[in-house]
Amino acid sequence: MPILTTRIVRLLSTVWLLGAVASFPLPGEAANIVALKGADVDVYDEALDGFKSVASRAQISEYDMEGDLQRGKRFLARLKSGPKPDLILAIGIWALQVVVEEIRDIPVVFAMVLNPSTVIGQEARNITGASMNVPIEQQIALLKKASPQARRIGVIYDPSKTGFLIKQAERIASDQGVRLLPKAIASPKDSFAALDAMQGEIDALWILPDVTVLAPESVQYMLLFSFRNRIPLLGLSENQARMGALFGLSFGSGRDIGIQAGEIANEILSGRRAEEIPFTTARRLRLTVNLKTAGKLGLQVPKEILDRADVVIR
Amino acid sequence: MKVRLRAVLNLSLILLLAGSVRPADAADLKDAIRNLYGGQGILLEPLPLPFPSQESRFQASSLQGLDQLNSQLTSAIGVPAFNSSVTGFTFDIERGVPVRTTESLGTLLTERATTLGARKLDLTFTYTRVNFTKLQGKDLKDLELVFLRGDANGNGIRDTSGPFSFESDVIRARLSVDLTEDIFALIATYGLTAEWDVGFVVPVTHIRLIAKAHAAIFDQFGNPGGTKVGDIPIHRFGPNSSRPDASGGGDETGLGDIVLRTKYNFLRHYDDLVPDMAFLVELKLPTGDEERLLGTGGTNVTGLLVASRTYARWFTPHVNLGYEIDTKDTRQNAVRYALGFDARLLPELTLAAGIIGRAKPDGSGTGDHIVDLSLGVKWNPIKSLILRTNVQIPLDKNSGLRADFIPTVGIEYIF
Repeated sequence: MPILTTRIVRLLSTVWLLGAVASFPLPGEAANIVALKGADVDVYDEALDGFKSVASRAQISEYDMEGDLQRGKRFLARLKSGPKPDLILAIGIWALQVVVEEIRDIPVVFAMVLNPSTVIGQEARNITGASMNVPIEQQIALLKKASPQARRIGVIYDPSKTGFLIKQAERIASDQGVRLLPKAIASPKDSFAALDAMQGEIDALWILPDVTVLAPESVQYMLLFSFRNRIPLLGLSENQARMGALFGLSFGSGRDIGIQAGEIANEILSGRRAEEIPFTTARRLRLTVNLKTAGKLGLQVPKEILDRADVVIR
Repeated sequence: MKVRLRAVLNLSLILLLAGSVRPADAADLKDAIRNLYGGQGILLEPLPLPFPSQESRFQASSLQGLDQLNSQLTSAIGVPAFNSSVTGFTFDIERGVPVRTTESLGTLLTERATTLGARKLDLTFTYTRVNFTKLQGKDLKDLELVFLRGDANGNGIRDTSGPFSFESDVIRARLSVDLTEDIFALIATYGLTAEWDVGFVVPVTHIRLIAKAHAAIFDQFGNPGGTKVGDIPIHRFGPNSSRPDASGGGDETGLGDIVLRTKYNFLRHYDDLVPDMAFLVELKLPTGDEERLLGTGGTNVTGLLVASRTYARWFTPHVNLGYEIDTKDTRQNAVRYALGFDARLLPELTLAAGIIGRAKPDGSGTGDHIVDLSLGVKWNPIKSLILRTNVQIPLDKNSGLRADFIPTVGIEYIF
């Protein structure tokens, strides 16, 4: 390689390295973070508090979209025209939606988002974060623990919304020695036929975080199905457990999710690239057990589950 | 935070201004009616000798009658109900999205179980006009008091015949009372947590009480002038008596009774049937000067159980039930109740209606059971700004001191 070419390559490498170093805050220098909140919701505030507790050295500016996507876009347009922050924290699905559309060159960490991969395209390499999804492994394990003889878990889903979750779940279920019986639906009214088709075929039923499945009539019918067929139903929240699901398993708290997002942000600010960090699921969970339902189903909930339950409905 | 600091400073200014307003021409508005005839009751013209003096024969009954009316009126002037709004977002944990709570902009005079939300501040300014028109069903512009004279011959009765039949003469006093209140109130509510609100109401009141009376003497048959001996009336007004026409009263402006309150929403979204529930505690402090009719002079404590439930995201019926203890006069203790709804007619427009009642189990007879209909609307033109108007209509004008209707307008902002 001629000497001139070598020098040019060295010069370019040096410039790139300096640029790379300059683009991250130096040790001791406070990182500049913009926190974009989708709406004024308590749980988002909790997430922001959790984030701040681990990103304590960062300078954080907050902005509330007040539930208005256009307002969020206008804010990001202004943000892009000025000095760029070191990182954007997008709290909630709406904040993530506008950030995905508007931001390409600033690292983004999201928090409090359910099913983030439905919003973030494959091409977005600057975005990662802490989802509020509950790990599928733990959901299936809970059903197995409650009903050890359960081998077939029924689930209805809308392929356009949660097809990706079903693929993951089938693999995880297989690893845990159970079989997933998914039934695809396109609208809430399809859920009745889909569930009827599962009669006698499944040992447990699982509610997915899927807006088509979560239509009130679908949830009601799943509760009815659970009682009629005396099989446990795993819901997504304390509310669903109170409605009659045997379990409600959700993320622990907004603060926990915020802490997870803060830890991811710290990694990025330390030099790791967002695309190298996979989305996380909720690390701490909140379990509600409905013992009234257990009685009706003729199930004895193991002490181990009751001991770890946050809420027990008696 | 700066906005909240500014709000607190503004409040301090209002309190300072309210406290600095001096009484107008009436130093003791509370006794305006009692003192109509000089505070000693009605004194008549002395009769010429050799007749026995009759000038103080109506003094006791007139004093008693005026005092009773004074008490009826002044004890019935209270503080109108206030409340705060509920707007914004809640979080749907299953779908992972915020849900607008614009199913309603909230109630106006009654309470819902839902709270404001953590770290939210609601500031509301209201203006309420109360023009009292009835007392126990009687027109305030045309009240009549009848004063009886004392026993002259000591037989224990008022003679209707014979030489002492003049004992049955009466003085009829016709009174016209003009009683109005203008109440400017600052209402602040702050969400300590998602389920727990604290707040206060600071009213600044302008009250006007003008009473005019005309007294006339009648005999037992209703003949003007009363009983006469020859041409000489036994009871009469004259240059040395009280004047038959009297007037009194005035205006006062100042700080009213401050209300502190807190609400805890202990049950929310329990299931499809059970309503959301909250407990509200109110403490009314005697900060308004009772003598100037700006306050009731006592500390009241109220506990209220509140239940509400939103259906189809637009219709929210609610029930309030509680008890108010008046630490100064237990006869004023009252059961408080309300039944109503608020409904979102348009995304930015809510209609609220309700029945508001107050029953005093051991009341004194005046306004022992008051029931009002409340109708109002809230309009949310931009962001968190809400304009509100409401009218309170008495359903039973025969109980207590009542207005034909009580309009309120207000402006509200949630930070």
